Amino acid sequence: MSERGHSDMHFAARTYDVGDLLAAQELYHANGWTDGLPIVPPTEDAVHACLEWAMTPPDQLLGIEPVRAVPITAEKLAINAVMAGCLPMHFPAVLTAFTAMLQPEFLLHGATSSTGGCAVLIILNGPIRRELGATGSFNALGNSDRATAVIGRAIRLALINILEVRPGGIDRSTLGHPGKFSYCIAEDEEGTPWMPLHAQRGLPPEVSAVTVMAGGAPRQIMNEWTTQPEEILETFAAEMRANMRQYSIWSGNYALIIPPQLRDHLQAACWSKADIADFIHARARVHRREWAEVGKGAVVRDRGDTEHAALGSPDQLLVVAAGGPAGGFGAVIPPWLGDKSRAVTLPIGACVDCEPPGQ
Amino acid sequence: MAVMTTRFVSAAELMARVLGFPGYEFAVIAHPISSAGDADLRDMAAAATAQARRLLLGG
Amino acid sequence: MPLKVLDPTNETAPPLGQKAPRLASLAGKTIGVISNGKEGTQGFFAHLDRMLREEFGVADVLRHVKSNYSAPAGPDIVDEIRRWQAVVTGIGD
Repeated sequence: MSERGHSDMHFAARTYDVGDLLAAQELYHANGWTDGLPIVPPTEDAVHACLEWAMTPPDQLLGIEPVRAVPITAEKLAINAVMAGCLPMHFPAVLTAFTAMLQPEFLLHGATSSTGGCAVLIILNGPIRRELGATGSFNALGNSDRATAVIGRAIRLALINILEVRPGGIDRSTLGHPGKFSYCIAEDEEGTPWMPLHAQRGLPPEVSAVTVMAGGAPRQIMNEWTTQPEEILETFAAEMRANMRQYSIWSGNYALIIPPQLRDHLQAACWSKADIADFIHARARVHRREWAEVGKGAVVRDRGDTEHAALGSPDQLLVVAAGGPAGGFGAVIPPWLGDKSRAVTLPIGACVDCEPPGQ
Repeated sequence: MAVMTTRFVSAAELMARVLGFPGYEFAVIAHPISSAGDADLRDMAAAATAQARRLLLGG
Repeated sequence: MPLKVLDPTNETAPPLGQKAPRLASLAGKTIGVISNGKEGTQGFFAHLDRMLREEFGVADVLRHVKSNYSAPAGPDIVDEIRRWQAVVTGIGD
């Protein structure tokens, strides 16, 4: 019990006494409790503040990871969120993201242990972005702002610590990618007439929401030489076809990140996100025989004429308006492995009467 | 009997521990399977069969 | 300045499992195979099937391929296990 104590909350976690901030670093690093970067020591006061802000008791069960029967409690998630650098106001997004990852269709164990090495892409929507200062502008896929940096990192630390997803342990990633440090972006809803992602996926636009997707590294494209929507989107489709040929041919969720310069042309021609998805669904297709052009002839066999589509249906495409104001760039974020893991969108909110997802 | 390719031995040991079977013994064969030719697959099956005697049978 | 800090890991212990009793012999027995269906497994398990019959006199080798190689075996396969005297499965690529 700390000196001040928190009579309204009982923490189950074991405590350690350390001499100072640097000693705390060494304790956590030595125990394999970090991502290699310094952490914020999770004191009872800091963890209490997160739980209080989210109006969540420490023993609230978010869910149970089914393969290993590991319970995920709000307390343990808050400890990892504090370590990542989250302030209390960042914690509701962390809670919602991890709850979304625990939905069965996300396939949390497979997605986080696979040799495929994907990261968890987290997309923020709704008013919370402005409250958190999550910009969705310059450097959207890099270090854009504190909120997205720490929310993304909290998820990774929670995977490392609560689910033991460590490299060479449960995390069998051959390569992984830098998104495994933090992979969180905010949609630039104010900068576009497009329907925000969470509304496209069925939520009221006025709520705040988190979407999680098991995603590979971003593949950046450039096309600053046209204003025609079909030509701009053809470049995105070509990058998706290249992913199908060179990485994985299976259809699933793809995310397209479209910054203002390219977005302006699409919007000027009155193309909606649904129009974009229909076009991409039609154009992002390859034939199995194309594998022979990229060194995979051994597995074409007699199925060369089989056509594969990047998207099983247009609604598998996640179109996100984000990025800085200048530059004819865009990004394609491919799925970890087809539709083995499916993106999940959940609203952010205090949940008074929530049940953990059914097992 | 659980069979692991060499590159997954540490994963198997960890999964055994987290599932409540520390020290669970399993067979180990060469890696990878996905690009192995038939002769190699036959050798791997022979290795698994040899280990099956110890792992499946008592004594 | 001394700090009191919290453990970030899952501190609940998994329930200890129990190994099924070992068989005295495999002769006449039914062995189930749970395969992840990845490239190469068909050839590997075909050889294993033949060797288990030739070496141990196994009567039957029933092969099941998981519907999702990145997830545990589904309940349809798990239900079948009670009909087998031994199981062969694994992790590999």
